[in-house]
Amino acid sequence: MNRRKFIRNTSSFLSVPLMLRGLPIAAAGSQLFYNAIEEGNDKVLVLVQLNGGNDGLNTIIPLDKYDLLANARSNLIIPENDIIKANDLTGFHPSLSDLKSLYDDARMTVLHDVGYPNQNRSHFRSTDIWTSGSPADEVWTTGWLGRYLEDCHPSYPEDFPNSSFPDPFALSIGSIVSETCQGTITNFSLALTDPSSIVPLNNDAVDEVPDTPYGRELEFLRTTIDQANAYGEIISDAAEKGSNDSIYPNTALAEQLKAIALLVSGGLGTKIYIANLGGFDTHANQVEGNDTRQGSHAQLMQTLSEAIFAFQEDLKSQGLEERVITMTFSEFGRRIRSNGSLGTDHGTAAPMVFFGSCINGGFIGDSPLIPNNPGVSDGVPMQFDFRSVYGSILIDWFGIETQIVNNILQDEFTYLPIVNACGQTTPTDDPELTEVLKVHNYPNPFDNWTTISLETQGGNMRISLYDALGHELEVITSRTMTAGSHEIKYEGSHLVPGNYFCRVITEKASRTFGMIKV
Amino acid sequence: MVEQPTISAQELPTEVKSINRYEGPWSRTQAAHLLRRTTYGNSIDQIMTASSMSMDEVIDLLLADKELPPEPINYYYEEDPSVPVGASWVDKMYVRDDNMILQSRRRSLGGWTLGNLLNTGIHIREKLTLFWSNHFVTQASVLNDPNFIYYNNNLLRSMSLGNFRDMVKAVTINPAMLRYLNGNQNSVLSPNENFARELLELFTIGKGALAGPGDYTTFTEQDVTEASKILTGWRDQGYYYGDGNPAGSVYRSFRHDKTTKQLSHRFNNAIIENQEGFEYAALIDIILEQEEVSKYICRKLYRWFVYYEIDDEIESSIIEPLAQILRDNDYEVKPVLRTLLSSDHFYNICSVGPMIKNPIDFIVTVFTQFEIQFPENILDAYQIWSRLASLFEGFGMNYYEPPNVAGWKAYYQEPLFYRTWITAATLPLRQAYTNVIVSGQAEFMDRRITMDPLYLISKFENPENPNSLISELASYIFPIPITDTQKDFLKEVLIPGLPDFEWTVEYNLYLNDPQNEEIRRSVDAKLRTLLATMLTMPEYYLS
Repeated sequence: MNRRKFIRNTSSFLSVPLMLRGLPIAAAGSQLFYNAIEEGNDKVLVLVQLNGGNDGLNTIIPLDKYDLLANARSNLIIPENDIIKANDLTGFHPSLSDLKSLYDDARMTVLHDVGYPNQNRSHFRSTDIWTSGSPADEVWTTGWLGRYLEDCHPSYPEDFPNSSFPDPFALSIGSIVSETCQGTITNFSLALTDPSSIVPLNNDAVDEVPDTPYGRELEFLRTTIDQANAYGEIISDAAEKGSNDSIYPNTALAEQLKAIALLVSGGLGTKIYIANLGGFDTHANQVEGNDTRQGSHAQLMQTLSEAIFAFQEDLKSQGLEERVITMTFSEFGRRIRSNGSLGTDHGTAAPMVFFGSCINGGFIGDSPLIPNNPGVSDGVPMQFDFRSVYGSILIDWFGIETQIVNNILQDEFTYLPIVNACGQTTPTDDPELTEVLKVHNYPNPFDNWTTISLETQGGNMRISLYDALGHELEVITSRTMTAGSHEIKYEGSHLVPGNYFCRVITEKASRTFGMIKV
Repeated sequence: MVEQPTISAQELPTEVKSINRYEGPWSRTQAAHLLRRTTYGNSIDQIMTASSMSMDEVIDLLLADKELPPEPINYYYEEDPSVPVGASWVDKMYVRDDNMILQSRRRSLGGWTLGNLLNTGIHIREKLTLFWSNHFVTQASVLNDPNFIYYNNNLLRSMSLGNFRDMVKAVTINPAMLRYLNGNQNSVLSPNENFARELLELFTIGKGALAGPGDYTTFTEQDVTEASKILTGWRDQGYYYGDGNPAGSVYRSFRHDKTTKQLSHRFNNAIIENQEGFEYAALIDIILEQEEVSKYICRKLYRWFVYYEIDDEIESSIIEPLAQILRDNDYEVKPVLRTLLSSDHFYNICSVGPMIKNPIDFIVTVFTQFEIQFPENILDAYQIWSRLASLFEGFGMNYYEPPNVAGWKAYYQEPLFYRTWITAATLPLRQAYTNVIVSGQAEFMDRRITMDPLYLISKFENPENPNSLISELASYIFPIPITDTQKDFLKEVLIPGLPDFEWTVEYNLYLNDPQNEEIRRSVDAKLRTLLATMLTMPEYYLS
């Protein structure tokens, strides 16, 4: 079948000028990644997308900020005694008891406060940002994994599957493909509901199609049918060979994860799986009025906890856990203050959680920054950019060159130590990045000027000022610094009095701290 | 044979991008295209009827005033204390925890919905009602109460061809929306901005590019905050009939924020003084002063009725002129639809065929296209319709359950758009579905739901000739003619390895002795095999 290449000149829904990022990646670079795959990297990444915006502060609860939270979200805070304590700083929602046992085994890593500068509070736009890996002010129509796959396999789907790549690259469990795997034209993920019942489809791809909108859609249909047929048999075989070895609860998420475990166990070479859990848009009745341990969010926590626990146990008991990292993400966190409807509105950063036996168990980052008197619209300030997560996973898990990852993400990123040697047995509760970055700020509160003093190992550094809604207001400095101590004076007389925060990022670390302008 | 446009891979057709009136030929091709895009019925009879009229007459029919369908009825549950079997359950008392009643009303709603779709006839209303449901989204799983879901759906239906301004106002205080986006919890003491945000971002002006902190070009975070204050005070009534009221809404002054509100520079810093229960309408009028609203709505209509791709030229030659018409007519929807559906662009060859049928369109039109009959007894019909409605979900498009407040991805998510519907997971369902319907294996309540291919082809011009039989069948069910290679392939399916005249002989045998069951069955079986193959060709998924 001929696959015509064309770039669709689509203007976006809202007439935003479209910035299609072509990815001029050097052929030598591509070759490196190609080799990484050929050398038999058998790692698998499972994305669990939590749709709606998860309330991070009621999921992973900062115990050291309990009083501040009790004040800001009194109608839905979990009673202190019911929080499952992980360490002195942090606890889990009471419905996450299964996950707590994964944490105790160092099979769970929490990365605090992940987001991006200029957080967009629209579900759809923010989901697009998370799935594409774009900056907040640019519209990219390709997914972060799609770009990575397209770079290696620019001719896909033509001549796929083949003897070198017999398996689907990505499987989205459900009836729609995942935007994370969207290429320029073709989506690299195959949607699948039940791996055990796959039937061959009729195709009539006998003639060339005309070069019209009709012809293009017809060709898409024919290609999708071909793909389904070609991969269908491979998936069926894997489903038949594979098995499950743990008891899954009866939830849709558990069913999805069970299917994934079955296919991994059956030897399918797919590297990326996507599962979904919806319902996190908890504007109202997130908790029950008379018992904040109950309610829709508690049910979601239980569903998530039980399904992931069953999945990880399944993988572990089959000796597969060292090949799989499971990662949750959501389009945003929710606000620090609750609303009057026993709910929370769209916010900013939230924790990302990772599971597996080849990760640095424990917590990464500082306990969330909660101001003394948060405004009604304030979200949790970000510490980590989600693209740093993507980049670190691509490098450490899939073995991709840093240069290529920089191209895929179109940006420098801070390296995060998420992946680790396998088989660690105790969680690292000391949030430790590869660089010990010491930051001190005085005076704070300040009126006209303040000083940021820091001690760094050197390299590129960027210091930015954010408002409480997560907007990056200004870049205080962005330059290469020598190792050692530095002092940066900041003149802030133009700022309106209120809560701000400052984020310092280097190549290997990041720190976020609050600043109050008086 | 009816003439159809042909496109070969070599010669590229010119794309016409203008809303000038279409003055080309009016034949079965154009009539079928218009019906496919605007109705859930495009049977041979309907296509013939439409092609025998003028374009304007068909559009008049499509846009004509029409009575609302009868209310949904209790079709089986004899234990319902307030609704006898056969009677409407709308606004009728029931106990929230009674799962049997709840289930019977849910099923009835599904059956009623399918009945409405099947009985659309040559009218745009059902497709438009679904369009508005995808615009002013609510979700059944959140609303839960079938009475609220019905109320909302019928509100959208009753206003579907009316005035957009009236519609936004009605939706804003409609009980289902108040509940779905927490407007009923939005009060002066605890503002909830869920509805205010979507009113701006999704229902009226849309979200533009980020122009500055909290500024989305079309509106700002300040507008969300201020609009949510303006919208305070409204409560829904009659949820689960719990308070003894029919579904409705009520304004409570003590819950309303009575301060003066000010919108951002995006709305010329408009100041809105306290206007109690009329304030929401004032807000909507201010929003609708912005030209962007009319463009935003016209883009959505375009993506629903024509195609998903909107390039700069479509924006300037189609969207902007349509938006001008919408504004010139104070947001009346009909003039826009009339212009679009009678435009050069709509009938241009590039607009014919590239729309992947959404699952509801696909499921429903198999029945209408092949004139599949349902029981005349309404209770029996409901039984089957409600079963059929339950298929929507598996195909990825539950009528009352868009995935979220933005609606189905097929109408906004770049770059896939309509292609979202087609995946390795949904394709087998489409194939299995048409196979079952064509083969006659579909049984509902001991009734076979199937088509009668012999009856269908009896309307054809030359059914005894296998070549014209296949061409004519193709011309009714595919938007663009298939190629000669495909026709030859289909002839092999109909009469494998046999010369053409064998079909003629067999078919004439049947015509001469229609009561002979053996002959009828063998000809019928051949036709079913042919149809089953045609309906699983990807061309059939296109409109």
